[in-house]
Amino acid sequence: MLKLSTNKASPQARPRQPADKSPSGLSIVWREIVQDKIALVSFILVAAVTLFVYVTSLLLDQDQIVRVDLFALKQPPSSEFLLGTDQGGRDIFGQLIIGTRNSLTIAIVVTLLTGIIGVLVGLVSGYFGGTIDNLLMRVVDFFMILPFLMVVIAFITAVPNYGITAFTLIMTAFLWLGIAKLIRSKALQEREMEYVQASRTSGSSHLKIMFVQVLPNLSSIIIVTMTLNLAANIGLESGLSFLGFGFPESTPSLGTLVSYARNPQTLEMRWWIWLPASILILVLMLCINNVGQAVKRAADARQRKG
Amino acid sequence: MHDDLLSIEHLTASFRIGDRYYAAVDDVSLTVRKNEILAIVGESGSGKSALAFSIMGLHTRAKIEGDVRLDGQSLTRLPPSKMNKLRGRDMGMIFQDSLSALNPLMIVGSQIEEALVLHRPGLSKKERKEKTIELLTQVGIAGPELAYEKFPHELSGGMRQRIVIAIAIANEPRLLIADEPTTALDVTIQLQILDLIRKLKSDIGAGVILITHDLGVVAEMADRVAVMYAGQIVEIASLSTLLSNPQHPYTRSLLRSIPASREPKSKLYVIQGIVPSLQHLPRQGCRFRSRIPWIDESAHEEQPEMHEIAPGHFVRCTCYKHFRFPGEEEIRHGAS
Repeated sequence: MLKLSTNKASPQARPRQPADKSPSGLSIVWREIVQDKIALVSFILVAAVTLFVYVTSLLLDQDQIVRVDLFALKQPPSSEFLLGTDQGGRDIFGQLIIGTRNSLTIAIVVTLLTGIIGVLVGLVSGYFGGTIDNLLMRVVDFFMILPFLMVVIAFITAVPNYGITAFTLIMTAFLWLGIAKLIRSKALQEREMEYVQASRTSGSSHLKIMFVQVLPNLSSIIIVTMTLNLAANIGLESGLSFLGFGFPESTPSLGTLVSYARNPQTLEMRWWIWLPASILILVLMLCINNVGQAVKRAADARQRKG
Repeated sequence: MHDDLLSIEHLTASFRIGDRYYAAVDDVSLTVRKNEILAIVGESGSGKSALAFSIMGLHTRAKIEGDVRLDGQSLTRLPPSKMNKLRGRDMGMIFQDSLSALNPLMIVGSQIEEALVLHRPGLSKKERKEKTIELLTQVGIAGPELAYEKFPHELSGGMRQRIVIAIAIANEPRLLIADEPTTALDVTIQLQILDLIRKLKSDIGAGVILITHDLGVVAEMADRVAVMYAGQIVEIASLSTLLSNPQHPYTRSLLRSIPASREPKSKLYVIQGIVPSLQHLPRQGCRFRSRIPWIDESAHEEQPEMHEIAPGHFVRCTCYKHFRFPGEEEIRHGAS
């Protein structure tokens, strides 16, 4: 198994450990991030934003924030409303926090779900090959030829209780395809390796070889893809929300905040409504991408800096 | 015979290329006894490894005909789950390239333990580790506790090959298949590994199939030798017979092509041509015909069969009676 322990005990402290023990996966990734100053700053930023958003949103009452307040419409930033209010008199700062939390949660859940489905399908498809591979890949092809945006729009119009769950599912339904194809191609290579045959000679079943032998060997590529996908999914959610196919107004997200800028007046005169969310999207995506690049380098010994 | 550990009868393994099946292993029959090393020799592409994989039942896309019996139990008709139980417990395999035969992301200790987990579920975690350390000691690794924690890339080629052997013998299999176990190693390590295999063989009383193209290794190790050419066995005899009285033209050519360090700069004998690929195998007649074109066509049989020319000494095709090397005048005859 890939060792992901962050045990940094020095050889002196544990004399029975060999001094030249190979670095664990996580410590290699961490070293790579520290070596790359931009990635390090990005990592700290993302961590700080995530932590801040999740902690403060626990203290905030979402219902109160999204309640329309007719006495505080379109107010510029002040000491009462740190980032002003929107056309419904709702606090932008509060919405920003809740919105970032929602966007991040969606992105993380979608990334994990697509990751799990994609890896499972890709692994089974690539490992067994032949008829199973053919069958699964035709399913993938079928989903791929569907126009993503149109289906999402149709889905949103058709489903009555459109909320976070429905949105997550429809995103997941389309986003596992790429991962499945990628993992399949890697698994096709990996199953030809002799250690797979060797493991069979000691009597391992296909299932065991797939998950205990082959999967860890694909872990680096899975981690890299998932990190980069996380950034892409934040962007995708925002994009859909901006077009009006994201969350309902009662559920603020980064995308819904930006979408207020569709109103020319808001765009020109009330920057505080849409600008903070836009900057946050930009910063988050850039930072996660930077971290992702560092992780990618860590996964390939030839590209490492540290 | 009752002391036959493994008996292979008319085993044929065919692969599909395009829409036809081609036999990479063609009608192979042989037996391995307990506590015996049977060497299988042949050039690259002669079907040695394909034979080993067929015995282990590792070919998923091949058509297998004939019968393989381990202690009387037929393996070819066994369902996959039963076969999984047998692999690793009753038969083990040693691979040629130890670096690729080990999972690069697993410490070698847990790779050895895997074989124990699968076939000895009764062992506790601690007992398993103890047994693994014991195995590491058994295959001659100094500092087994240290080696236990290592990843394959941290070990030398010889050490890795020992690990591969430790995995293969973890459950004391009755049959051990060594597929070119020393090809990737340098000469000094070769000898140690061969000694180890021989020692383990007598320790656990296993039958060993040693696949190699190195006749030096054969001379060192084998009790009996089977020579394979283009998927068929062309000659099978005890080691001393085969070395002193080889009959089939292919065996004789092989023996003649060994570089001798005692005669530096003498010209090496080269067998003309290459092993014909699966698609281009002659459908009829002797398969070695194309590589000894100076021998008259009539010397070959139309359907070459195995002839027992002495007890336990089998040769395929009649061409051996008429074979001579270029420049060799007199024609040697049969068993002397």
